[in-house]
Amino acid sequence: MKSRTFSPYVPRPATLISKSPLSDLVTLYEFTLDNGKNLAHKPGQFIMLSIYGVGEAPFSVSSAPVKDSLVFELAVRRIGTVTKALSELEAGAKVGIRGPFGTSFPVHEFVGKDTLLVAGGLGYIPIRSLLHYQLRHRQEFGRMSVLIGTRSPNERIFTDQIAELAASGDVEVLETVDVPDETWKGNVGVITTLLPKAGVDPQNTYVAMIGPPVMYKFVLRQCRDMGISSERIWVSLERRMKCGLGKCGHCQINNLNACVDGPVFRYMDIESLEEAI
Amino acid sequence: MTAYTVQMEQLPKLCATWSAQYGVHVPMALGNGFYDFAPWRPGAEIAFEYDVAYNSLKRFFMPPREDMVAFDVQSCTASPVFAAPPTLLFGVHPYDIKAVTQLDQLMEAVSLDQNYFSRRDAVVIFALTPLAVADTAFWASVGADKVDRGYDLYWTKTGPGTFHVEVGSGKGEELLLAAGPLPPATAGSREAARKAQVRATKLGLSRKLLYDWHETPHVLERSWNSSVWHRKAEKCLACGSCNIVCPTCYCFDIREEVDESLKTGRRFREWDGCMLSGFALVAGGHNFRAQAAERYRHRYMRKGKYIFDKIGELGCVGCGRCVRACTSKIADPCAIFNTLWEERRHEI
Repeated sequence: MKSRTFSPYVPRPATLISKSPLSDLVTLYEFTLDNGKNLAHKPGQFIMLSIYGVGEAPFSVSSAPVKDSLVFELAVRRIGTVTKALSELEAGAKVGIRGPFGTSFPVHEFVGKDTLLVAGGLGYIPIRSLLHYQLRHRQEFGRMSVLIGTRSPNERIFTDQIAELAASGDVEVLETVDVPDETWKGNVGVITTLLPKAGVDPQNTYVAMIGPPVMYKFVLRQCRDMGISSERIWVSLERRMKCGLGKCGHCQINNLNACVDGPVFRYMDIESLEEAI
Repeated sequence: MTAYTVQMEQLPKLCATWSAQYGVHVPMALGNGFYDFAPWRPGAEIAFEYDVAYNSLKRFFMPPREDMVAFDVQSCTASPVFAAPPTLLFGVHPYDIKAVTQLDQLMEAVSLDQNYFSRRDAVVIFALTPLAVADTAFWASVGADKVDRGYDLYWTKTGPGTFHVEVGSGKGEELLLAAGPLPPATAGSREAARKAQVRATKLGLSRKLLYDWHETPHVLERSWNSSVWHRKAEKCLACGSCNIVCPTCYCFDIREEVDESLKTGRRFREWDGCMLSGFALVAGGHNFRAQAAERYRHRYMRKGKYIFDKIGELGCVGCGRCVRACTSKIADPCAIFNTLWEERRHEI
């Protein structure tokens, strides 16, 4: 009988390099793997982060893959036990990382095309991985637009980066909040109010969207009405990933496992699945 | 196919020989008409005429709780945990073997489940042609009355004190001959075994699907909006009993605990159930299957379609355990598939 030494359930050790607040509840964390290797993720993939004694939870990688950089970023909202424990760690602390897992945005298909990125709420975190990848290879893509919807101004994240991005002119940035406060001077309304304002050419635009469950069907309907084919739309779907290996059953969307068949799906491939959107 | 004839009085010595190497488990009567696999002890009475073991055999490959990772909180290091207890299961009915070979395929797909196969590779399976059938079972109508793989030996009781034993693997033959040579099966013995199998199949058809089981995925893909799901699930207690007793349900949760020292601990997986209300709940509170009817439908879709689409077999082997375990009397794949087939048959 062969003895086993490898287990996909054993995380790789990693170190917290820095952390900085993005909003009341969301913090940006920078990590490196202790083996000195690059995480080698692709935009849209996720990892499982372990804090031993507390638990393990899935998080999208927020940074773009960069060949010669060993640092990767997670932006995490303090909401449960693992995220609370994470928020209490200081630079130098050790964590465990499994992954990267799942499918990614097919950036090669986006080359030469216009792209429209739609981010609702914390959906900006994984969208940012794709956005930053595109910005690093800006000349390879056509017109770029990003729509960002947030519930309220104080929940906005990466605000300085987004302001810089908007000012750079590299990307069309449109932002809205559902519920404004006295400081907010921008658009008000749900994210679908932004789409008509974006200068997209429906025939040449590839769409990537991530947001809360309720967002998809409205944005998808709007895309359809504009004439953007479901072949050119990618959605990233959140489910309760536990194992990351297509086994535990928690993240199933009908017959698919979001952890291996997703989280990024071409909309055309899942349109007919009742549990997807 | 190599086969031998074994006499009943030779069995205690064989079991004792196997026990030196393996934890031998045999079907035993628990009282009140219930049976289950239990460790063999000298003098144990093997219940050859059991109808169904109360629990499925998945616990031998994937225990209800299984340590997978040992960790050290302070140094933040972790190492894998594997277990491989040598186990011999004697007297397994074909439908339960079919369930195991399905698990094998599902645990191998995409990413090989090391913990599962660590245990699985240490298990020897001796099949037994059923002599009785549970009143809730319908295995013969889903092609699970006989298997042609997944066993090391296939035992058939051909007389009051005689077995016809077909060899399924080298390991099985070695174990069969471990207590001394045995006579090869005669043509008469083979014929008696064939008849016993015919009898088992007939017995197994006392409850059945009304259609060819291969049609199940086509029936289910038209049944998403059937009123059956709501009608049945109205009474669902979301207890997960059907998941627990099911030989092909393998969903699990991953959790961990630390020792009293707070320095070391272990991460383990634990059986979970898609019928439990929080199964598809995500951070932030959204539940992708909040309604009992959605979970109920998911379970039958998985058995009848999703698994089928993956491995070409019905994900239900017709053992009837869930029918018995369900206190609300709503879990019955045979009844549900038949109802849906009746509903859809005029559309197909």
